[in-house]
Amino acid sequence: MWLTAVYYDGRQARPHPVTLCVEGEKLLLQGRDIVRREALASLKIPPPLGSTPRLILFADGARCEVADRQGFAEMLQDAGSSAVAGMENSWWYALAALLLTLSLLVVAYLFGLPYAARAAADQVPVYLLERMDTQFFASLDQTLLKPSTLSAKRRQTIQDGWQRLALPPGEDRSANIEFRASPALGANAFALPGGSVLLLDDLVSLASNDQEILAVLAHEMGHVHEKHALRQMLQASVIGLAMAWYIGDVSSLLAVAPTVLLETRYSRDFERRADAFAAELLRANGIPVSRLADILEKLEAAHQTAVAKQPVESVEAMDYLSSHPNTEERIKRLRGL
Amino acid sequence: MAEHQSRQLQFSGSGGEYFRIWIVNVCLSIVTLGVYSAWAKVKRNQYFYRHTTLAGAGFDYHGDPKAILKGRIVAFLLFAFYTLVGEFDRVAGLAILLVIVSVMPWLLMRSLRFRMHNTSYRGLRFAFHGSTGAAYFNFLLLPVLSALTLGALWPLAQQRMARYTRENSTYGNEFFKFFAGSGAYYRIYLMTIFIGVLVFAGLMASVMLLGSKELIPVEAEQLVAMSVLVAAIGTYLALFLLAYPYVAARLQNLVWNSTQLGPHGFQAQLQAREMLGIMLGNVLLTLLTLGLYKPFADIRLARYRIERVALLPRGSIDEFVAGLQTNTSAAGEEMAEMFDFDIAL
Repeated sequence: MWLTAVYYDGRQARPHPVTLCVEGEKLLLQGRDIVRREALASLKIPPPLGSTPRLILFADGARCEVADRQGFAEMLQDAGSSAVAGMENSWWYALAALLLTLSLLVVAYLFGLPYAARAAADQVPVYLLERMDTQFFASLDQTLLKPSTLSAKRRQTIQDGWQRLALPPGEDRSANIEFRASPALGANAFALPGGSVLLLDDLVSLASNDQEILAVLAHEMGHVHEKHALRQMLQASVIGLAMAWYIGDVSSLLAVAPTVLLETRYSRDFERRADAFAAELLRANGIPVSRLADILEKLEAAHQTAVAKQPVESVEAMDYLSSHPNTEERIKRLRGL
Repeated sequence: MAEHQSRQLQFSGSGGEYFRIWIVNVCLSIVTLGVYSAWAKVKRNQYFYRHTTLAGAGFDYHGDPKAILKGRIVAFLLFAFYTLVGEFDRVAGLAILLVIVSVMPWLLMRSLRFRMHNTSYRGLRFAFHGSTGAAYFNFLLLPVLSALTLGALWPLAQQRMARYTRENSTYGNEFFKFFAGSGAYYRIYLMTIFIGVLVFAGLMASVMLLGSKELIPVEAEQLVAMSVLVAAIGTYLALFLLAYPYVAARLQNLVWNSTQLGPHGFQAQLQAREMLGIMLGNVLLTLLTLGLYKPFADIRLARYRIERVALLPRGSIDEFVAGLQTNTSAAGEEMAEMFDFDIAL
């Protein structure tokens, strides 16, 4: 059996039309002014790749290109073919790979990444986290945050109420409260990675009673307790990186929308967990769980009237309302408890 | 006798065929936690190179997946280290970024060497001979200077980078020549700015006109502010959509039309309008199909960019004699890719 091919000697760009045939363990190549006889074992035959020509690479840098893939496979008895190359040619394998890829991505998104982020968050030393909080205040105190205008007495009352809360067994009181005012952020509270809770003046004045403030603090402590801020940060960077890599060359701006969408689910889960933590803590202290629902309602109303004030998003903080569309559902659930 | 018949580059890849290769390799890369991605990358390059033909002969890619894997691991570790440290300590993060930036020109130079050395046509390798010093001048000093001048020097920097990459590249024993001046680069960017100004003025004028005839409900004293706002947003969107395809098409034309290989010239005829259509269609379809259109989009763009380039041969292109070959590490190429330094080759 003969095959026609084009031979390049690796020293000049001139193509040589040749014919190939296999004689025992050797490949015979013949052209007008070339004859080569090479042991098949000394040749490198790359696996087929789509409809690209088949190749024979000689040890000295010469190469042969064969357009007839069928004939090539027959003559060389599928030399160089690999399992992967077979899969790449079949629509069935492509479909299977597509389904497997999609399910792996879904599993990674639903379980893998949250699990990994949690494991990683547990490994980060506390002093590093506390440094993040210091840095957070250092960078925002000049711009977004202003000193609190609450009287020292008012602040002390809130601190005292917080200190009097009985914590679940085995829980230490790591959450310390930082009072600030922020016209831009309005009524809000944030749990920071290092365990500080940032309480804004507007939220204090929005609350009808101190139990509502305690309910918010209990919710934020739920975030602190489960390291939500840090985990959110880790998950967000992985998703952001994956998106930028995938959509990257088109436009990094376009990658933002799907990234935000994907992160919403995570923050919703975190809010739910923090609500559950707060509900348990409040109940243990004889405070009605509905206090959290009350203040949530007020916050929702306050934020809806203040849409014009663009909230400045900080990745490092767990926004009290970051799962905005969900607040109603959360209120309902809390009312049901 | 000089031979003047132009030889168009051809691209014979197809979306359906590439989709199968792509999805199998994506799947294997995920299953192997990214290790296989180096092999996938080699395959991707081989697919595109082997389907690109000039005068009946195809290109080929010879990169070693193991070298690429090593590069990927180093790049990944560096990047992860930078991101993590940056979260906890901005000063330390900045220091790491500074280190990365200061080795970047060297990495770019190495990656050019790796890429060129591993590209062949008709059995002859390409090669890159650029020096480290010139890499630091072109890839670090000039971009820094253009940043300091708020981009005024950027077209010049880009011209120098293109000249550095072209004039230090060889195919066989023949050097590439590059003769575009920085003026041509400035013209492309000035034209972009000019279009932006036109769009801005047009939008502002039409809002003012509509407002003064009370066709849109705006208070008289707010009309100017309103029209400036609409014009600014409109111009931003228009430039965002138009500028990239326009600049990409014009730059590719400029670079190829000013490149010679020995006595042979090149000709590129990309249309900004067609480029815009392809890129816009690709983005929309990729988003609508949740990313599944990506391999088809890659093929579509590659076909357009490749088939609009032609070789203008003078004399026989069969007579090149292979030059010396050097071995290079792939680390550079992977770093350059991960940190997204586009040098518009």
